[in-house]
Amino acid sequence: MPDELERDLLSLFVQGDLDAFESLFKQFQVDVYRWAVRIVRDPSTAEDVLVEAFWRAYRGRGQFDPSRSFGAWMRRIATNVARDHLKATRPRAGWSATDDEIPAPASSDCDLGEAVALAFRKLPPKLQVVATLALIEEQPYAEIADVLDLPIGTIKSRVFRAVRALRKELARLGIQP
Amino acid sequence: MIDDDRLQHLLRSAFPPIADQEPSRDLWPLVVNQIRAPMKRLWLDISLAAVIAILLMMFPEWLSLLAYHL
Repeated sequence: MPDELERDLLSLFVQGDLDAFESLFKQFQVDVYRWAVRIVRDPSTAEDVLVEAFWRAYRGRGQFDPSRSFGAWMRRIATNVARDHLKATRPRAGWSATDDEIPAPASSDCDLGEAVALAFRKLPPKLQVVATLALIEEQPYAEIADVLDLPIGTIKSRVFRAVRALRKELARLGIQP
Repeated sequence: MIDDDRLQHLLRSAFPPIADQEPSRDLWPLVVNQIRAPMKRLWLDISLAAVIAILLMMFPEWLSLLAYHL
């Protein structure tokens, strides 16, 4: 919950005050950047996500309620931008693959890691985002639900579906470690 | 069948945790550029429309020519 000073700043931001927005940017950029880099796993891409997220925030400032947390709102926008990025860079749209894309059965942990990474990147972006935050970053389900503005049940269901899809893809690649 | 713990371990090995970092440079100028870019485009559109309107007032016969090409 923002304090009075911050609420004034947020009200100015909603009215389109660029100086107020710059103050908010300076205050929240590192938090948003760290959140983005956890999802996209690349510092340079996370910088692009940060810029796009703050731009979208400024464009949609009219929808922001100054009595709510600006940080949580920014994380939500950054998550949506990061998901769009994952969608754009996803290896393939579907789960089918031609034979030449199927790697040889994993013989070492290194090969296995590559296969897991490949299978993970093929997950639908909305599952990938949730699985990254829950399984790799080990964020609590409640926090993920709060950021994505979804019920905890939906988060659990997406993690379950992500794990099932990963298992299926790894089995298709002939991996049974 | 890979159990949940094994799968999570494999994932965390494939995507090692990223240490807390900060942006490599000041990104505020890029945000401002993004915000101002549509405004610039808007002014360009308005200027172009104004020029066309003035030309049509000066040379009304061009209207039929313009309509033909539209």
